[in-house]
Amino acid sequence: MAASGNNRSRLLLVILLVTALFLITLDLRGINIAKNSRSATQTFLAPVQRGFSDFFSPVGNFFSDVKNFGRAKAQITDLEKENAKLKNQLVVNADVKGQLTKLKGVLNLAGRGGYKVVSARVIGQGSASTFSQTITIDAGSNDGVQKDMTVINESGIVGVVKSVTGSSAIVILMSDPTFRIGVRIAGTQTVGILLGQGSNRYTLQLLDPAGTIKFGDALLSLGSDNNHPFVPGLPVGSVSFVDHSNSALTQTASVTGYANLNSLGVVSVITTAAKQDPKDSLVPVPDPIKTIYVTATPVPSASASPNSSPGSATPKPSPTSKGKK
Amino acid sequence: MSWARAGLFAAFLFVVFILQEAAISKINFPISGFSLYLAVLLGLMSLEDKFGAIVLGFIGGLILDFSPSSDAPFGKWALILTLVGYVFATNRESIGDFTERPGSFVIFISIGSALTLVVFLCFGVLLGENNGAFGTNMLTIFGNSLWTLLFAPILLPGLVKWRSITVNARERA
Repeated sequence: MAASGNNRSRLLLVILLVTALFLITLDLRGINIAKNSRSATQTFLAPVQRGFSDFFSPVGNFFSDVKNFGRAKAQITDLEKENAKLKNQLVVNADVKGQLTKLKGVLNLAGRGGYKVVSARVIGQGSASTFSQTITIDAGSNDGVQKDMTVINESGIVGVVKSVTGSSAIVILMSDPTFRIGVRIAGTQTVGILLGQGSNRYTLQLLDPAGTIKFGDALLSLGSDNNHPFVPGLPVGSVSFVDHSNSALTQTASVTGYANLNSLGVVSVITTAAKQDPKDSLVPVPDPIKTIYVTATPVPSASASPNSSPGSATPKPSPTSKGKK
Repeated sequence: MSWARAGLFAAFLFVVFILQEAAISKINFPISGFSLYLAVLLGLMSLEDKFGAIVLGFIGGLILDFSPSSDAPFGKWALILTLVGYVFATNRESIGDFTERPGSFVIFISIGSALTLVVFLCFGVLLGENNGAFGTNMLTIFGNSLWTLLFAPILLPGLVKWRSITVNARERA
């Protein structure tokens, strides 16, 4: 009896494995079962994701907030002072305010580049079990979003639209291991390819064997034919480490992306590129380092020597301290 | 496993899948994300006999193949989870009844979740997919296992209850 049950299980196992292999073969041979079924799932999921997004937006970063609790403790004193001021101010929904700031930033970037954009809220993120780095946005073909359009946030490029339904779209993020983008170094115009690595660090591979990379070099998108999937001139990242080993034909470097892909709230999809390449005009300008000079003025002390008259006191040189903010 | 029960499990797994895609994925877990879907599926598989585990693995894999964020070829998850179901059921027979050993259940699910993801990556390599940086993938797998280890004890009573509701008298005998 047990042997019969085992045989039945083995037969079922073989049938199901062959079915799965058959499905994989069909998919790899270009018969798009996956595309249609996943698109249908996305159409079904988008309203649910939107509903959950409203609920999870305030609690989504709960764990990271807990992680930073120790650091936050030191700021409590300052926050208590600020709290008194804030009580008198208009109570604004912090989440909406944050999204507004991001929206302002992204529209500012789009405006400077001359891009026409459609802004959208991030309503979902790629599942932990798929290893693909994606987000779902609440704008779709009804809003003019199409496949292979560039997606940006206030800091620069974020990814590319991978698939679209009527009211939502899936964006493949720059950090995805399959992501490739042509970039040029601002200033020198040396061209290379940036490869996603699954995190906010990327690998830059120069195409020109004679080209050189320096620490801090800003990278901009090179652009694609007909501006799809990439429009030119968008900030991508800056060089954080240069690999000086001679093992490769061309120089490689590590790059830190400008856009923080872990906290995407609002993004914009570029529907129409600028008429002219913005060249290097969108390179982020670092905040100037503010130097504060504090000059101590000597205060007449009560314990000053009685022999010395105020007029004869020799002024001490003013100690000058320099601090950076 | 009867057709009716397989249908019930498919509906249940689909609800968990929606919950995973719409809600759990929105939470920024430290280290890496948590796959509630995998934990629930592996939990259910570990409570089934060999036949049931294989069927559940295939159904669960097919549902996971519908994930819009997935780049993997359709059927890849079905293939992997069918195999995992078989391996799970074979090993489970040597361990015994999990409902009496909650500790073993939690560890089994956590390790199973990690192994499933490793197998997923290995199949990806065989199919010529780009899986990204090795370190990042290992961190993802470690993080997922850790969260599974923490959340599995909460899931166990619910899964046992669900199974006892769906099992009919004949199957119980």
